[in-house]
Amino acid sequence: MVLKFYAPQFVGGGIAIVALALAEKQAAFEFVPINMAVKEHKTAEYMAMNPFGQVPAINDDGFAMYESRAICRYLDERFADQGATLVPKAMKERAVVEQAISVESMTFSPPLSKVVGELVVKVRRGLTPDQALADEGLKEISDKLDVYEVILAKHNYLAGDNFTLADLVHYAYAPMLAEKGVDIMTVKERPNVARWWNELMSRPTWVKLKAEGMKSTV
Amino acid sequence: MVLKFYASPFPVAGGGIVALALAEKQAAFDFVPIDLKTKEQKTAEYMALNPFGKVPAINDDGFVMYESRAICRYVDEKFAGQGTTLVPKGTKERALVEQAVSVESMTLFPPLDKVVWEVVVKPERGLAPDQAIVGKGLKEISDTLDVYEGILGKHRYLAGDDFTLADLVHCGYLPFLVEKGVDIMTAKERPNVARWWNELMSRPTWVKLQAEGMKSTV
Repeated sequence: MVLKFYAPQFVGGGIAIVALALAEKQAAFEFVPINMAVKEHKTAEYMAMNPFGQVPAINDDGFAMYESRAICRYLDERFADQGATLVPKAMKERAVVEQAISVESMTFSPPLSKVVGELVVKVRRGLTPDQALADEGLKEISDKLDVYEVILAKHNYLAGDNFTLADLVHYAYAPMLAEKGVDIMTVKERPNVARWWNELMSRPTWVKLKAEGMKSTV
Repeated sequence: MVLKFYASPFPVAGGGIVALALAEKQAAFDFVPIDLKTKEQKTAEYMALNPFGKVPAINDDGFVMYESRAICRYVDEKFAGQGTTLVPKGTKERALVEQAVSVESMTLFPPLDKVVWEVVVKPERGLAPDQAIVGKGLKEISDTLDVYEGILGKHRYLAGDDFTLADLVHCGYLPFLVEKGVDIMTAKERPNVARWWNELMSRPTWVKLQAEGMKSTV
């Protein structure tokens, strides 16, 4: 039975990460839309796959999983012989990728969530953003990007010269900032970050995903 | 040259996680204490190891890494033939471990970090905890533990019947709460979580680490 991918039709967050990984791995899958407006992600049926009641989830012929970053690692192994290699096989190369993934999860994502919460989510709900909180988040992100600037002077991507899961996890939230006119990823004071970000935003799998959304391949 | 392990000399947080992993793997290492009080982690010398200026870091005969969870994965592979297997080899078993590791990073850690800041860090600096933040954080942690209760009703540890990295990462920050008299891990409403937590806290490697602190094995 073909792999099922459960998520709302929304290219953002963990959903975007898994959708992009599926594209990178040229994986066959059936997209099963989850209607969050009617809390379908909180039904007993869905929560049998993800007891935390969050999206996305996958079911690979009876093997159910959640947590987008974990799903991506699984997909990379499951479809090891095709598409992009998201996590290298060699021990030290893999360790550097895991290090960069951890930076995104533990250091980059928290302030980014704060900013997206204010400037995207609140606005979408017709609430007034707390600009002070957003600015605080933007300052933290900027401080981290100053370190990315140094890292990206040494190689094309975050963990070396090839695109890996470490770069892919950054598609979750940062693209939403540009849509809101926040240009933190492309400021000229950080030319290496800007170069890297522009490469990510023009990657063909991403461009296609943004244009077409999630679609079953079968 | 033996692996060098740089951290604050208290077996807590990210340094505690790596120290426990090194003990589980029976790894030989040289412990190099970093003095956070004098901000040694922000010196140019240390930041050559970790440009984000945080502890811990390792230097394995010239191979430098940071991010505790990534270091643990590397240590598990490097010392693959000895000690506890922290991340299983089988694709699906490994995916379930990564899923549980991700829950700790993305769901448990953010509110836990906020609560630890209020109840541990602020009092050390003579500041009063913000009880509203503490209350909100503890509620979020409790909601997550309600789901753990279900998971731990099915198997002994978070990702199956064996202790893995998924359980190990929980030893970094939750003990802070326990030390401050917050009994959230042993609440009787969650007997499976209490059983699991008591097993973690009585694990011999943990007990020894807490009793003796970080010590070079060489």
